[in-house]
Amino acid sequence: MSQQEKISVYNLADLKNTTDDAIPNYLNSLGFTQSHTLSDVRLGLGYLALLTAAACFAWDYQLGFEATKLPTAAAVALYAVLNTALTVWIFFVERGAVYVGTSPDGRARVRLTSASVRGAVPEYRLTAEVSDAATGRVRETVEVRRGFNAWFDAAGRFVAAPFQVVLAGQVGVIGQADPKRREAAAAEGKGTTGRVVDESVSAGYTPEMLAALQGAEATGAEAEAGKKGGKRRKA
Amino acid sequence: MLSSLGNPRQAAAQLLNFGLIISTAFMMWKGLSIFTDSSSPIVVVLSGSMEPAMQRGDLLVLWNRNIWAETAVGDIVVYSVKGKDIPIVHRVVRKFGVGPKAKLLTKGDNNHSDDTELYAKGQDFLERENILGTVVGYVPFVGYVTIMLSEHPWMKTAMLGIMGLVVMLQRE
Repeated sequence: MSQQEKISVYNLADLKNTTDDAIPNYLNSLGFTQSHTLSDVRLGLGYLALLTAAACFAWDYQLGFEATKLPTAAAVALYAVLNTALTVWIFFVERGAVYVGTSPDGRARVRLTSASVRGAVPEYRLTAEVSDAATGRVRETVEVRRGFNAWFDAAGRFVAAPFQVVLAGQVGVIGQADPKRREAAAAEGKGTTGRVVDESVSAGYTPEMLAALQGAEATGAEAEAGKKGGKRRKA
Repeated sequence: MLSSLGNPRQAAAQLLNFGLIISTAFMMWKGLSIFTDSSSPIVVVLSGSMEPAMQRGDLLVLWNRNIWAETAVGDIVVYSVKGKDIPIVHRVVRKFGVGPKAKLLTKGDNNHSDDTELYAKGQDFLERENILGTVVGYVPFVGYVTIMLSEHPWMKTAMLGIMGLVVMLQRE
């Protein structure tokens, strides 16, 4: 289920990317419908630009510079336009969205954005924007901040359960779709109510619990390999 | 990491990032070509024939539009003649006539004789169309990297390999 691949816990980009990648898996499994429009438009613009450059290269290679000045000038202009559009799309429309989708009941639209990790603070900063699917009006914006150690064990393996508990506990729509995880979040949060995330209260999983959870999720063979102190398994 | 290759959109995005780096570099070069009207707007000096003005490894910026004045005696130009791939940077020392059919003679500052020897067989002078551009700017020594790369081809392979690997393994 979750990635069995280990990452370096000292690589902040890896921590963020692995966490980002886990979001679609989780939400889609809850019945959310993921929308790929944002990335599809980005890919479309990008590949169109790439195609323009490739065509320009081809005729330049075949016919030489002097004979193809006019089309080359047109291609350069088109490439500049496409690239500008792409940049605008990435910075003003996509704005770092890692997941856009509709809730299982089809009434709410969620947009999850994770901020790139700055400095040396190993913290995942996720913004969830929930809007009405019909009118598009923003219902709520939730900001979740949590240390990566809440869902990565010491070896750098991602453990899905605590991460899902954080999402279900903090974002109402996700909690509705996954009551079990929301209850777990409420149980461990005792006292911390609402949207305020107290940094000192981690997801409630100690490193030992994370390791145990990982063991439970791993296949038997891998759990065994873990017991032997990380010795390489024979193929 | 490489695991992203399991997701077609992510794989396509990664390939796109790599492609855009190359295509942007190429299109910037072409844009500069169009702007300067020169097929090769930036060249590297390969020989010492223009010393002391230009050393081996200097990077030259060319301009090939005669908006205000024609190419004149004293200009340093880059030209290429039929049958020889490598462009040559030398100074115009004689000019006969005006317009695109004017006859130009060039010579390297550091050479004893003029360039008639270097021209194509049967060619005694240059015309405007042989010229790739007039030198309008230069950056000393920077071009030595390309001289190193072309004289030691293994460096080129190694550099491309390392660049490719970095792009493959990094997402940000």
